[in-house]
Amino acid sequence: MKSSLMHLVPPVSRDRIISQFPKWYTPEACLQFKEHFHAQVRAACQRSTGTVGLKLSKVVVVGDLYVGKTSLINRFCKDNFDRDYKATIGVDFEIERFEIVGVPYNLQIWDTAGQEKFKCIASAYYRGAEVIITVFDLADIQTLDHTKQWLEDALRENEPDSSFIFLVGTKKDLVSDAVCERTELDAIRFANEMQAEYWSVSAKTGENVKEFFSRVAALAFEQSMIKELEKTSGRMAQIGAGNLIKLEKNLMEIPEGNTQASLSCC
Amino acid sequence: MAAAAAPGPRAPGGDGGGSSSASSSLSMERIQSLTDLSDLEAAYGRLCEEEKVVQGELDALLEQQSTIENKMVALHRMGPNLQLIEGDAQQLAGMITFTCNLAENVSSKVRQLDLAKNRLYQAIQRADDILDLKFCMDGVQTALRNEDYEQAAAHIHRYLSLDKSVIELSRQGKEGGIIDANLKLLQEAEQRLKTIVTEKFDMAMKQGDLPQVERFFKIFPLLGLHEEGLSKFSEYLCKQVASKAEENLLLVMGTDMSDRRAAVIFADTLTLLFEGIARIVETHQPIVETYYGPGRLYTLIKHLQVECDRQVEKVVDNFIKQRDYHRQFQQVQNSMMRSSSAEKIEPRELDPILTEVTLMNARSELYLRFIKRRIISDFEVGDSMASEEVKQEHQKYLDKLLNNCLLSRTMQELIGYYITMEEYFMRETVNKAVAMDSYEKGQLTSSMVDDVFYIVKKCIGRALSSSSIDCLCAMINHSTTELESDFREVLYNKLKQGFPATTFQDFQRGVTSAVSIMHSSLQQGKFDTKGIESTDEAKQSFLVTLNNVEVCSENIMTLKKTLESDCTKLLSQGFGGEQAQAKIDSCLSDMAAVSNKFRDLLQEGLNELNSTAIKPQVKPWINLFLSVSHNIEEEEFSDYEANDPWVQQFIVNLEQQMTEFKVGLSPVIYDTLTGLMTSLIAIELEKVLLKSTFSRLGGLQFDKELRSLIAYLTTVTTWTIRDKFARLSQMATILNLERVTEILDYWGPNSGPLTWRLTPAEVRQVLALRIDFRSEDIKRLRL
Repeated sequence: MKSSLMHLVPPVSRDRIISQFPKWYTPEACLQFKEHFHAQVRAACQRSTGTVGLKLSKVVVVGDLYVGKTSLINRFCKDNFDRDYKATIGVDFEIERFEIVGVPYNLQIWDTAGQEKFKCIASAYYRGAEVIITVFDLADIQTLDHTKQWLEDALRENEPDSSFIFLVGTKKDLVSDAVCERTELDAIRFANEMQAEYWSVSAKTGENVKEFFSRVAALAFEQSMIKELEKTSGRMAQIGAGNLIKLEKNLMEIPEGNTQASLSCC
Repeated sequence: MAAAAAPGPRAPGGDGGGSSSASSSLSMERIQSLTDLSDLEAAYGRLCEEEKVVQGELDALLEQQSTIENKMVALHRMGPNLQLIEGDAQQLAGMITFTCNLAENVSSKVRQLDLAKNRLYQAIQRADDILDLKFCMDGVQTALRNEDYEQAAAHIHRYLSLDKSVIELSRQGKEGGIIDANLKLLQEAEQRLKTIVTEKFDMAMKQGDLPQVERFFKIFPLLGLHEEGLSKFSEYLCKQVASKAEENLLLVMGTDMSDRRAAVIFADTLTLLFEGIARIVETHQPIVETYYGPGRLYTLIKHLQVECDRQVEKVVDNFIKQRDYHRQFQQVQNSMMRSSSAEKIEPRELDPILTEVTLMNARSELYLRFIKRRIISDFEVGDSMASEEVKQEHQKYLDKLLNNCLLSRTMQELIGYYITMEEYFMRETVNKAVAMDSYEKGQLTSSMVDDVFYIVKKCIGRALSSSSIDCLCAMINHSTTELESDFREVLYNKLKQGFPATTFQDFQRGVTSAVSIMHSSLQQGKFDTKGIESTDEAKQSFLVTLNNVEVCSENIMTLKKTLESDCTKLLSQGFGGEQAQAKIDSCLSDMAAVSNKFRDLLQEGLNELNSTAIKPQVKPWINLFLSVSHNIEEEEFSDYEANDPWVQQFIVNLEQQMTEFKVGLSPVIYDTLTGLMTSLIAIELEKVLLKSTFSRLGGLQFDKELRSLIAYLTTVTTWTIRDKFARLSQMATILNLERVTEILDYWGPNSGPLTWRLTPAEVRQVLALRIDFRSEDIKRLRL
């Protein structure tokens, strides 16, 4: 069984394989405390490998100009850091492949322009975002103030409560620990107001970058799996007209059984 | 004794081997110690055998003697020959050593000769160089005197390409003093020539004398002044570009508004500018390549781009001013914020400017692609032997030039505003189409579907015509949002009004109920024909909306496919960056997802129709089944045959009811609807069946009825309905059994190809409907 699973999964680079739920950055501003994947999701993953189409989630990165959105993404996707500052025009785009609990999964990262004059075009890309990452510069407190506006703009194009929100402070390497701690206190307050999870990172040193995106991927992945499970069970109810109730019940029992099995093996 | 005992056990073993050693296997002591006769005989026998063996071996050896002797003789004869051979060999070795030494000698001499020859060549070369140097010195002077700058530059070039050590060497020679003086002259001549060429070039440039400009442009690289030459030459070219652009701009400002191209005059101006630059690149690329070598085009274009940016800025500034671009954008933004219709800008007014902006961008993209291609191919020629690093460096230069030039940024800004205005244009025009929605009799859909998709197509098409992938994707996203939220909302709200079922239902219930309704309505003073009319309209509207929803879902998929092929075309022409395809795919798949949302909406609407219009009618018709006794004898059975009690009327009713939908709905939706109806009938019929009782003939009657019904439904649907009626058919089979136990002929291992859809409990339940089956028999069944 295991070997056949391995066979079906296309090769994903080793550090993009997530099997344990990545941890939060600070418990004071995080989206959820669980340390494991939802049991039902885990069971579904074991059941459905290979049969389901490739899943992907859309991530939109917003924030003031020069806070380091592109650098953050480049550090993660290409593992490089270019000191040469070049403003993003319109939108940039990266696809990052993951394998989560044995299921291939893609993050589609849309890197938008921070400059006001390119905002019109960038805002056309906010729709349908499963994850919104609002970025600010730890060394420039004003950019933190602006995150609220950025988030508001991004949320306007999305259905309410359909996206995970992250607040990310960049350029951690540029500020002293004391300053960082002070700014983080403010940021955490902001994050709680926005119902966002907070992270401090440095694209230059790479500190927390991988951890952060793993966390994003895991949360988005779990959410999309749960949504899919709901959808399939919802569809069952629609088709099954009375006489199929028994069948439906059977289907419902399978995941429960699997859940127990997976729990006991953990 | 002890010594004698020891070999004892060994004796038979050694003996068996038939050893050919001189001493016998039986030692003398052993023989002497033998006392017993039989033992002695045995020993004797063994010794005899041994003797025989030894005799045989000796014979064999004797036989070989002659051959060995022969060989010995032959060997003796060979002795002298061997001595001869040894002598020859020594002689040969001596000769080889001699030859080897000789060869060694010869080759060393050849090497020496070679060295000498090389030195000689070098000496000649150097002499040549020195002669050249002298020749150059003289030549330059003469050439300068004769104003033959090409010749002078050629001399200088020769001088510059000479080995510096040669010059050093010749200075150290006997005539060092003279050469030194000459060198000085030469260097002076070089400086003079540089100044002269620069001056002459500047002069030619001032006079706009192209042949002279080109003449001196060709001289610069000979003097090692590549960069300077290129920059000077591009300065000249820039001037040309600038003056031409100024002329064009003046022409634009004076253009009559009635001119055929007036609406796109700024795009045309940009086109002229770009075409001019492209022509310059085209014309002068060969000269640059020939005289400056490959890989230099980048420098030239970099200089030209600065002028291009300057001119673009002017054109765009004028465009913004004359077309009131920013004000229009502001107005659009305000209109989008506020919903008050009074200040709203008329979308149709935006049409020309939107077209012009996309055209301007398309021209810019075309131009940028042109210079990108030219530079890449020029670099490729130059970099064919270069390291990967150099290539990457060059690629970086190019990317920087293309992305950071003012042209790109200005256009991006314009497109940014364009997107918002186009979005507004689309939204407002769609709203208009919805408001002006009309329906023509005989048509399945209403006008707004076609209109809305025409608009969406037009807007995306315009974005596509800008050749900017980001712009296109942005517009696809806006269209997706527009269709998904706003337009779907419109259709959803129409469906939400529902299918007016009650009146319709009552109307069909027959004269008596109709009369009673009219009666009561008249009493309440409410009844009027208008009510019926508006009900008709509402029904119509519901059905048309269903069709609309379906067509929308189809149209979205068609639109997606069309866009896919359009984009492939665009990308194959070399537009868009590395991630362009992925961006487009992502946006288009979002769009395709909206098609499913429309499908879901259609399903919802059909369910609504099924439950409000079909179910309330079909259910009573099916319930009539209960009033027809199936507990019947021969007489009633034949009576039923003559006067059908239920199923024929049911079929007629169904037929009547579905006609209306068949006319009003598209074939696909109608099909789905009949599918839903069929399921409904199957479920409801099963319910009433389980409430009835049957005799043997009653079972047969039901079987007949079911067959007619299935036969009818098969003609009206394209779905396979056998499956939906499988349970009922199996129930009919059970009701038709002769005896209870007959079920076993069909059950379990005897079921054959039949798959039972009924559980054992259900089988018992159906069996129990037969009044002539005893419940004990049923209970006794082992299923």
